Amino acid sequence: MEQLVQKLKEEIITALNLSEMKPENIDEKAPLFVDGLGLDSIDALELTVLLEKKYGLKINTSEEGKKVLLSVNSMAEFIRENKKG
Amino acid sequence: MEAFINSLSAISPQNTFAEEKLLHEAREYNNVRFLRCVEPQYSTFIDPMASRRMSRIIKMGVCSAIKCLQEAGINNPDAIITGTGMGCVEDTGRFLASIFENEEKLLNPTPFIQSTHNTVGASIALILKCKNYNNTYGHRGFSFESALLDGIMMLQEEEANDILVGALDELTPDLFTITDRLGFWKKDPVNNLHLKDYRSRGSLAGEGTTFFSLSRTKNEKSFARIRSLQTFLKPAGQREIEKKLTDTDKPDLVILGINGNPPGDEIYNHLKSGIFVNTPAAYYKHLCGEYDTSSAFALAMAAGIIREQHVPDIMKLDSKPVGAIRNILIYNHLRNVNHSVIQVSSC
Repeated sequence: MEQLVQKLKEEIITALNLSEMKPENIDEKAPLFVDGLGLDSIDALELTVLLEKKYGLKINTSEEGKKVLLSVNSMAEFIRENKKG
Repeated sequence: MEAFINSLSAISPQNTFAEEKLLHEAREYNNVRFLRCVEPQYSTFIDPMASRRMSRIIKMGVCSAIKCLQEAGINNPDAIITGTGMGCVEDTGRFLASIFENEEKLLNPTPFIQSTHNTVGASIALILKCKNYNNTYGHRGFSFESALLDGIMMLQEEEANDILVGALDELTPDLFTITDRLGFWKKDPVNNLHLKDYRSRGSLAGEGTTFFSLSRTKNEKSFARIRSLQTFLKPAGQREIEKKLTDTDKPDLVILGINGNPPGDEIYNHLKSGIFVNTPAAYYKHLCGEYDTSSAFALAMAAGIIREQHVPDIMKLDSKPVGAIRNILIYNHLRNVNHSVIQVSSC
Protein backbone atom coordinates (compact mmCIF):
# COMPACT_ATOMS: atom_id res chain seq x y z
CA MET A 1 0.00 0.00 0.00
CA GLU A 2 2.82 2.41 0.90
CA GLN A 3 4.42 1.82 -2.48
CA LEU A 4 1.13 2.48 -4.24
CA VAL A 5 0.63 5.75 -2.33
CA GLN A 6 4.12 6.90 -3.31
CA LYS A 7 3.55 6.00 -6.97
CA LEU A 8 0.17 7.73 -6.95
CA LYS A 9 1.70 10.92 -5.54
CA GLU A 10 4.23 10.97 -8.37
CA GLU A 11 1.51 10.38 -10.95
CA ILE A 12 -0.64 13.17 -9.49
CA ILE A 13 2.28 15.61 -9.62
CA THR A 14 2.87 14.79 -13.30
CA ALA A 15 -0.80 14.74 -14.33
CA LEU A 16 -1.64 18.01 -12.61
CA ASN A 17 1.63 19.77 -13.46
CA LEU A 18 2.47 20.43 -9.81
CA SER A 19 6.09 20.95 -10.78
CA GLU A 20 6.99 22.87 -7.64
CA MET A 21 5.80 20.02 -5.43
CA LYS A 22 7.54 16.84 -4.31
CA PRO A 23 5.81 13.60 -3.23
CA GLU A 24 6.83 14.18 0.40
CA ASN A 25 5.00 17.55 0.35
CA ILE A 26 1.69 15.80 -0.25
CA ASP A 27 -0.04 14.58 2.89
CA GLU A 28 -1.78 11.35 1.83
CA LYS A 29 -4.49 11.86 4.45
CA ALA A 30 -5.22 15.51 3.61
CA PRO A 31 -8.12 16.47 1.32
CA LEU A 32 -7.08 16.94 -2.29
CA PHE A 33 -9.63 19.65 -2.99
CA VAL A 34 -10.16 23.13 -1.54
CA ASP A 35 -8.35 22.94 1.82
CA GLY A 36 -5.52 20.47 1.24
CA LEU A 37 -3.79 20.64 -2.12
CA GLY A 38 -6.32 23.22 -3.30
CA LEU A 39 -7.27 21.37 -6.45
CA ASP A 40 -10.32 22.28 -8.54
CA SER A 41 -12.91 20.69 -10.81
CA ILE A 42 -10.58 20.44 -13.83
CA ASP A 43 -8.13 18.55 -11.62
CA ALA A 44 -10.96 16.18 -10.64
CA LEU A 45 -11.44 15.38 -14.33
CA GLU A 46 -7.68 14.89 -14.78
CA LEU A 47 -7.58 12.49 -11.80
CA THR A 48 -10.56 10.55 -13.18
CA VAL A 49 -8.73 10.18 -16.51
CA LEU A 50 -5.56 9.14 -14.63
CA LEU A 51 -7.39 6.34 -12.78
CA GLU A 52 -8.87 5.04 -16.01
CA LYS A 53 -5.68 5.33 -18.09
CA LYS A 54 -3.20 3.95 -15.57
CA TYR A 55 -5.34 1.50 -13.61
CA GLY A 56 -8.28 0.76 -15.91
CA LEU A 57 -10.70 1.93 -13.22
CA LYS A 58 -13.83 3.94 -13.89
CA ILE A 59 -15.62 6.23 -11.46
CA ASN A 60 -19.27 5.74 -12.27
CA THR A 61 -21.15 8.35 -10.25
CA SER A 62 -20.36 11.77 -8.83
CA GLU A 63 -21.05 10.37 -5.34
CA GLU A 64 -18.43 7.70 -5.86
CA GLY A 65 -16.09 10.38 -7.24
CA LYS A 66 -16.40 12.46 -4.09
CA LYS A 67 -15.40 9.48 -1.94
CA VAL A 68 -12.60 8.20 -4.17
CA LEU A 69 -11.00 11.57 -4.86
CA LEU A 70 -11.08 12.69 -1.23
CA SER A 71 -7.37 12.10 -0.60
CA VAL A 72 -4.37 10.18 -1.94
CA ASN A 73 -5.17 7.45 0.59
CA SER A 74 -8.77 7.11 -0.61
CA MET A 75 -7.59 6.89 -4.22
CA ALA A 76 -5.03 4.21 -3.28
CA GLU A 77 -7.71 2.31 -1.35
CA PHE A 78 -10.04 2.44 -4.37
CA ILE A 79 -7.25 1.07 -6.61
CA ARG A 80 -6.33 -1.68 -4.12
CA GLU A 81 -9.94 -2.86 -3.68
CA ASN A 82 -10.85 -2.81 -7.33
CA LYS A 83 -7.63 -4.27 -8.73
CA LYS A 84 -8.00 -7.35 -6.44
CA GLY A 85 -10.00 -9.48 -8.79
CA MET B 1 -13.98 57.97 -32.45
CA GLU B 2 -11.30 58.14 -29.81
CA ALA B 3 -9.80 56.26 -26.90
CA PHE B 4 -7.07 57.32 -24.52
CA ILE B 5 -4.14 54.99 -23.92
CA ASN B 6 -3.20 54.96 -20.23
CA SER B 7 -0.78 52.06 -20.16
CA LEU B 8 0.53 49.30 -22.36
CA SER B 9 2.49 46.14 -21.91
CA ALA B 10 4.03 43.95 -24.57
CA ILE B 11 5.84 40.64 -24.49
CA SER B 12 7.71 40.37 -27.77
CA PRO B 13 11.02 39.17 -29.21
CA GLN B 14 12.40 42.49 -27.92
CA ASN B 15 12.88 43.46 -24.27
CA THR B 16 9.62 45.38 -24.36
CA PHE B 17 8.22 43.85 -21.18
CA ALA B 18 11.09 44.70 -18.89
CA GLU B 19 12.33 47.95 -20.39
CA GLU B 20 10.83 51.22 -19.26
CA LYS B 21 12.21 53.08 -22.24
CA LEU B 22 10.98 52.10 -25.68
CA LEU B 23 13.44 49.80 -27.50
CA HIS B 24 16.33 50.95 -25.36
CA GLU B 25 18.40 48.15 -26.80
CA ALA B 26 17.13 46.30 -29.88
CA ARG B 27 17.68 42.57 -29.91
CA GLU B 28 19.49 41.23 -32.92
CA TYR B 29 18.83 37.66 -34.02
CA ASN B 30 21.25 36.26 -36.54
CA ASN B 31 20.67 33.25 -38.75
CA VAL B 32 16.99 32.79 -37.87
CA ARG B 33 13.75 31.95 -39.66
CA PHE B 34 11.50 32.97 -36.78
CA LEU B 35 11.53 35.17 -33.70
CA ARG B 36 10.31 34.02 -30.29
CA CYS B 37 9.37 36.19 -27.34
CA VAL B 38 11.64 37.19 -24.49
CA GLU B 39 9.63 35.72 -21.63
CA PRO B 40 9.48 37.28 -18.17
CA GLN B 41 9.61 35.62 -14.76
CA TYR B 42 5.96 34.58 -14.64
CA SER B 43 5.79 33.84 -10.91
CA THR B 44 6.09 37.59 -10.20
CA PHE B 45 2.72 38.10 -11.86
CA ILE B 46 0.86 34.78 -11.71
CA ASP B 47 0.38 32.48 -8.73
CA PRO B 48 2.21 29.18 -9.56
CA MET B 49 -0.91 27.20 -8.61
CA ALA B 50 -2.87 29.17 -11.23
CA SER B 51 -0.14 29.06 -13.87
CA ARG B 52 0.64 25.33 -13.62
CA ARG B 53 -1.75 24.36 -16.39
CA MET B 54 -1.26 27.45 -18.52
CA SER B 55 0.59 27.09 -21.80
CA ARG B 56 3.19 29.63 -22.90
CA ILE B 57 0.77 31.92 -24.75
CA ILE B 58 -1.65 31.98 -21.81
CA LYS B 59 1.13 32.92 -19.41
CA MET B 60 2.43 35.59 -21.78
CA GLY B 61 -1.07 37.01 -22.35
CA VAL B 62 -2.09 36.99 -18.70
CA CYS B 63 1.24 38.43 -17.61
CA SER B 64 1.15 41.34 -20.05
CA ALA B 65 -2.51 42.03 -19.23
CA ILE B 66 -1.84 42.11 -15.48
CA LYS B 67 1.18 44.39 -15.84
CA CYS B 68 -0.80 46.69 -18.13
CA LEU B 69 -3.65 46.98 -15.60
CA GLN B 70 -1.22 47.49 -12.71
CA GLU B 71 0.41 50.39 -14.53
CA ALA B 72 -2.97 51.96 -15.27
CA GLY B 73 -4.09 51.44 -11.67
CA ILE B 74 -7.16 49.47 -12.76
CA ASN B 75 -8.31 46.44 -10.75
CA ASN B 76 -11.53 45.61 -12.51
CA PRO B 77 -11.85 46.85 -16.12
CA ASP B 78 -15.32 47.41 -17.57
CA ALA B 79 -14.40 45.08 -20.42
CA ILE B 80 -11.70 42.60 -21.40
CA ILE B 81 -11.43 42.31 -25.18
CA THR B 82 -8.81 40.23 -26.93
CA GLY B 83 -7.91 39.49 -30.52
CA THR B 84 -5.97 36.49 -31.76
CA GLY B 85 -5.48 35.16 -35.24
CA MET B 86 -4.65 31.61 -34.28
CA GLY B 87 -5.59 31.31 -30.59
CA CYS B 88 -3.86 28.88 -28.25
CA VAL B 89 -2.05 26.81 -30.85
CA GLU B 90 0.14 24.77 -28.49
CA ASP B 91 -2.82 23.37 -26.55
CA THR B 92 -4.78 22.83 -29.77
CA GLY B 93 -1.87 20.74 -31.09
CA ARG B 94 -1.61 18.84 -27.82
CA PHE B 95 -5.33 18.10 -27.81
CA LEU B 96 -5.35 16.94 -31.45
CA ALA B 97 -2.29 14.76 -30.84
CA SER B 98 -3.94 13.14 -27.83
CA ILE B 99 -7.10 12.42 -29.87
CA PHE B 100 -4.89 10.60 -32.37
CA GLU B 101 -2.67 8.82 -29.84
CA ASN B 102 -5.53 7.67 -27.61
CA GLU B 103 -7.83 6.73 -30.46
CA GLU B 104 -10.37 9.33 -29.39
CA LYS B 105 -10.69 7.83 -25.90
CA LEU B 106 -9.72 9.08 -22.43
CA LEU B 107 -8.73 12.58 -23.44
CA ASN B 108 -7.21 14.87 -20.85
CA PRO B 109 -9.52 17.84 -20.32
CA THR B 110 -6.87 20.52 -19.78
CA PRO B 111 -5.53 20.90 -23.36
CA PHE B 112 -9.12 20.93 -24.66
CA ILE B 113 -10.25 23.60 -22.19
CA GLN B 114 -7.14 25.69 -22.84
CA SER B 115 -7.19 25.35 -26.62
CA THR B 116 -9.90 27.87 -27.37
CA HIS B 117 -9.28 31.35 -28.73
CA ASN B 118 -10.82 33.01 -25.66
CA THR B 119 -8.70 31.16 -23.07
CA VAL B 120 -6.47 34.17 -22.38
CA GLY B 121 -9.38 36.63 -22.00
CA ALA B 122 -11.15 34.16 -19.72
CA SER B 123 -8.00 33.48 -17.66
CA ILE B 124 -7.51 37.21 -17.08
CA ALA B 125 -11.13 37.49 -15.93
CA LEU B 126 -10.75 34.50 -13.59
CA ILE B 127 -7.62 35.92 -11.98
CA LEU B 128 -9.19 39.38 -11.57
CA LYS B 129 -12.59 37.89 -10.64
CA CYS B 130 -13.92 40.27 -13.30
CA LYS B 131 -17.45 39.46 -14.44
CA ASN B 132 -17.75 42.32 -16.90
CA TYR B 133 -17.96 42.14 -20.70
CA ASN B 134 -15.48 39.64 -22.06
CA ASN B 135 -15.06 38.98 -25.74
CA THR B 136 -12.46 37.56 -28.12
CA TYR B 137 -12.11 38.11 -31.85
CA GLY B 138 -10.51 35.50 -34.08
CA HIS B 139 -10.52 37.37 -37.39
CA ARG B 140 -7.11 36.46 -38.77
CA GLY B 141 -5.33 39.66 -39.81
CA PHE B 142 -8.17 41.78 -38.41
CA SER B 143 -8.29 40.12 -34.99
CA PHE B 144 -6.64 42.93 -33.05
CA GLU B 145 -8.40 45.63 -35.07
CA SER B 146 -11.78 43.98 -34.37
CA ALA B 147 -11.06 43.86 -30.64
CA LEU B 148 -9.92 47.47 -30.71
CA LEU B 149 -12.98 48.57 -32.67
CA ASP B 150 -15.30 46.81 -30.22
CA GLY B 151 -13.52 48.51 -27.33
CA ILE B 152 -13.60 51.96 -28.89
CA MET B 153 -17.30 51.59 -29.68
CA MET B 154 -18.01 50.61 -26.07
CA LEU B 155 -16.20 53.74 -24.88
CA GLN B 156 -17.90 55.92 -27.47
CA GLU B 157 -21.34 54.64 -26.57
CA GLU B 158 -20.53 55.17 -22.88
CA GLU B 159 -21.01 51.52 -22.04
CA ALA B 160 -17.60 51.50 -20.42
CA ASN B 161 -15.07 53.92 -18.97
CA ASP B 162 -11.95 51.79 -18.61
CA ILE B 163 -11.26 48.75 -20.73
CA LEU B 164 -8.49 46.29 -21.43
CA VAL B 165 -7.83 45.50 -25.09
CA GLY B 166 -5.13 43.10 -26.16
CA ALA B 167 -3.74 40.90 -28.88
CA LEU B 168 -1.91 37.61 -28.73
CA ASP B 169 -0.44 35.08 -31.11
CA GLU B 170 2.12 32.39 -30.51
CA LEU B 171 4.46 30.53 -32.81
CA THR B 172 4.88 26.81 -32.18
CA PRO B 173 7.10 24.36 -34.08
CA ASP B 174 4.00 22.77 -35.67
CA LEU B 175 2.53 26.12 -36.71
CA PHE B 176 5.86 27.16 -38.20
CA THR B 177 6.12 23.90 -40.17
CA ILE B 178 2.58 24.20 -41.55
CA THR B 179 2.85 27.89 -42.48
CA ASP B 180 6.32 27.28 -43.92
CA ARG B 181 4.79 24.73 -46.29
CA LEU B 182 2.34 27.43 -47.34
CA GLY B 183 5.34 29.57 -48.36
CA PHE B 184 4.90 32.28 -45.72
CA TRP B 185 8.53 32.36 -44.57
CA LYS B 186 11.94 32.91 -46.13
CA LYS B 187 13.68 29.62 -46.83
CA ASP B 188 17.12 30.85 -45.80
CA PRO B 189 17.89 32.10 -42.30
CA VAL B 190 18.21 35.87 -41.98
CA ASN B 191 19.37 38.60 -39.65
CA ASN B 192 16.21 40.25 -38.29
CA LEU B 193 17.64 43.75 -38.29
CA HIS B 194 18.24 43.56 -42.05
CA LEU B 195 14.85 42.03 -42.86
CA LYS B 196 13.77 44.68 -45.36
CA ASP B 197 16.92 44.23 -47.46
CA TYR B 198 16.51 40.56 -48.42
CA ARG B 199 15.29 39.92 -51.96
CA SER B 200 13.96 36.40 -51.37
CA ARG B 201 10.23 35.71 -51.02
CA GLY B 202 8.54 35.23 -47.67
CA SER B 203 8.93 36.88 -44.30
CA LEU B 204 10.29 36.20 -40.83
CA ALA B 205 7.81 34.47 -38.50
CA GLY B 206 7.08 36.08 -35.15
CA GLU B 207 4.77 36.23 -32.17
CA GLY B 208 3.76 38.43 -29.26
CA THR B 209 1.19 39.58 -26.74
CA THR B 210 0.31 43.25 -26.37
CA PHE B 211 -2.24 44.82 -24.02
CA PHE B 212 -3.58 48.36 -23.68
CA SER B 213 -5.56 50.00 -20.94
CA LEU B 214 -7.94 52.43 -22.64
CA SER B 215 -10.31 55.00 -21.22
CA ARG B 216 -13.17 57.09 -22.52
CA THR B 217 -11.85 60.30 -21.04
CA LYS B 218 -8.36 61.64 -20.57
CA ASN B 219 -6.84 61.09 -17.14
CA GLU B 220 -3.50 61.75 -15.45
CA LYS B 221 -2.07 58.50 -16.90
CA SER B 222 -3.11 59.17 -20.50
CA PHE B 223 -0.20 59.58 -22.89
CA ALA B 224 -1.66 58.90 -26.34
CA ARG B 225 -5.00 58.85 -28.10
CA ILE B 226 -6.33 56.49 -30.76
CA ARG B 227 -8.08 58.77 -33.23
CA SER B 228 -9.25 56.48 -35.95
CA LEU B 229 -9.22 52.90 -37.11
CA GLN B 230 -10.02 51.57 -40.56
CA THR B 231 -9.90 48.07 -41.98
CA PHE B 232 -10.34 47.01 -45.57
CA LEU B 233 -10.18 43.63 -47.21
CA LYS B 234 -8.40 42.77 -50.47
CA PRO B 235 -8.19 46.25 -52.04
CA ALA B 236 -8.46 46.42 -55.80
CA GLY B 237 -5.08 48.12 -56.17
CA GLN B 238 -2.64 50.77 -55.03
CA ARG B 239 -5.06 53.59 -55.81
CA GLU B 240 -7.68 52.24 -53.40
CA ILE B 241 -5.07 51.93 -50.65
CA GLU B 242 -3.84 55.48 -51.26
CA LYS B 243 -7.41 56.77 -51.15
CA LYS B 244 -7.91 55.21 -47.70
CA LEU B 245 -4.65 56.68 -46.45
CA THR B 246 -5.22 60.18 -47.77
CA ASP B 247 -8.57 60.26 -45.93
CA THR B 248 -6.57 60.57 -42.70
CA ASP B 249 -4.87 63.65 -41.24
CA LYS B 250 -1.31 64.38 -42.33
CA PRO B 251 0.97 62.37 -40.04
CA ASP B 252 4.27 63.47 -38.48
CA LEU B 253 5.44 59.88 -38.81
CA VAL B 254 4.14 56.87 -40.71
CA ILE B 255 4.79 53.35 -39.40
CA LEU B 256 4.65 50.71 -42.14
CA GLY B 257 4.26 46.94 -41.90
CA ILE B 258 7.26 46.13 -44.14
CA ASN B 259 8.01 42.45 -43.58
CA GLY B 260 10.79 41.62 -46.04
CA ASN B 261 8.54 39.90 -48.59
CA PRO B 262 9.21 41.85 -51.84
CA PRO B 263 5.71 41.59 -53.43
CA GLY B 264 4.02 42.76 -50.23
CA ASP B 265 6.61 45.43 -49.49
CA GLU B 266 6.12 46.92 -52.94
CA ILE B 267 2.84 48.39 -51.67
CA TYR B 268 4.67 50.18 -48.85
CA ASN B 269 7.50 51.32 -51.14
CA HIS B 270 4.98 52.92 -53.54
CA LEU B 271 3.49 54.85 -50.63
CA LYS B 272 6.89 55.89 -49.35
CA SER B 273 7.88 57.34 -52.70
CA GLY B 274 4.36 58.62 -53.39
CA ILE B 275 1.93 60.07 -50.87
CA PHE B 276 4.42 59.82 -47.99
CA VAL B 277 7.43 61.13 -49.89
CA ASN B 278 7.83 64.01 -47.45
CA THR B 279 6.83 62.11 -44.32
CA PRO B 280 9.37 60.41 -42.04
CA ALA B 281 8.76 56.66 -42.12
CA ALA B 282 9.46 53.82 -39.72
CA TYR B 283 8.83 50.06 -39.63
CA TYR B 284 8.58 47.37 -36.97
CA LYS B 285 8.29 43.78 -38.21
CA HIS B 286 12.06 43.22 -38.10
CA LEU B 287 11.64 43.57 -34.32
CA CYS B 288 8.65 41.30 -33.71
CA GLY B 289 8.34 39.16 -36.85
CA GLU B 290 5.21 38.65 -38.93
CA TYR B 291 2.04 37.34 -37.27
CA ASP B 292 -1.69 37.95 -37.44
CA THR B 293 -1.85 40.55 -34.66
CA SER B 294 1.46 42.33 -35.20
CA SER B 295 -0.38 45.65 -35.66
CA ALA B 296 -0.86 45.64 -31.86
CA PHE B 297 2.93 45.73 -31.51
CA ALA B 298 2.98 48.64 -34.00
CA LEU B 299 0.40 50.49 -31.92
CA ALA B 300 2.51 49.93 -28.80
CA MET B 301 5.54 51.34 -30.63
CA ALA B 302 3.53 54.35 -31.87
CA ALA B 303 2.15 55.11 -28.41
CA GLY B 304 5.66 54.77 -26.94
CA ILE B 305 7.09 57.12 -29.57
CA ILE B 306 4.46 59.74 -28.74
CA ARG B 307 5.11 59.36 -25.00
CA GLU B 308 8.87 59.68 -25.39
CA GLN B 309 8.82 62.05 -28.40
CA HIS B 310 11.58 59.96 -29.87
CA VAL B 311 11.75 57.50 -32.77
CA PRO B 312 14.29 54.73 -32.05
CA ASP B 313 16.92 54.69 -34.81
CA ILE B 314 16.35 50.98 -35.30
CA MET B 315 12.80 51.69 -36.52
CA LYS B 316 13.64 54.48 -38.97
CA LEU B 317 13.33 53.85 -42.69
CA ASP B 318 14.91 57.13 -43.75
CA SER B 319 16.89 60.04 -42.42
CA LYS B 320 14.16 62.65 -42.78
CA PRO B 321 14.16 64.96 -39.77
CA VAL B 322 11.42 64.19 -37.25
CA GLY B 323 10.06 67.18 -35.35
CA ALA B 324 7.40 67.13 -32.67
CA ILE B 325 5.44 63.90 -33.01
CA ARG B 326 1.76 64.62 -32.51
CA ASN B 327 0.20 62.35 -35.08
CA ILE B 328 1.32 58.87 -36.18
CA LEU B 329 -0.29 56.79 -38.87
CA ILE B 330 0.15 53.01 -38.80
CA TYR B 331 -0.51 51.18 -42.02
CA ASN B 332 -0.20 47.41 -42.16
CA HIS B 333 -1.38 44.60 -44.37
CA LEU B 334 -1.26 40.87 -43.85
CA ARG B 335 -0.45 39.14 -47.14
CA ASN B 336 -2.32 41.85 -49.07
CA VAL B 337 -5.61 40.53 -47.67
CA ASN B 338 -6.22 42.30 -44.37
CA HIS B 339 -5.30 45.98 -44.49
CA SER B 340 -5.56 48.31 -41.53
CA VAL B 341 -4.92 51.96 -40.77
CA ILE B 342 -4.66 53.27 -37.21
CA GLN B 343 -4.14 56.93 -36.31
CA VAL B 344 -2.56 57.70 -32.95
CA SER B 345 -2.10 61.19 -31.57
CA SER B 346 -0.80 62.93 -28.52
CA CYS B 347 -3.47 63.69 -25.89
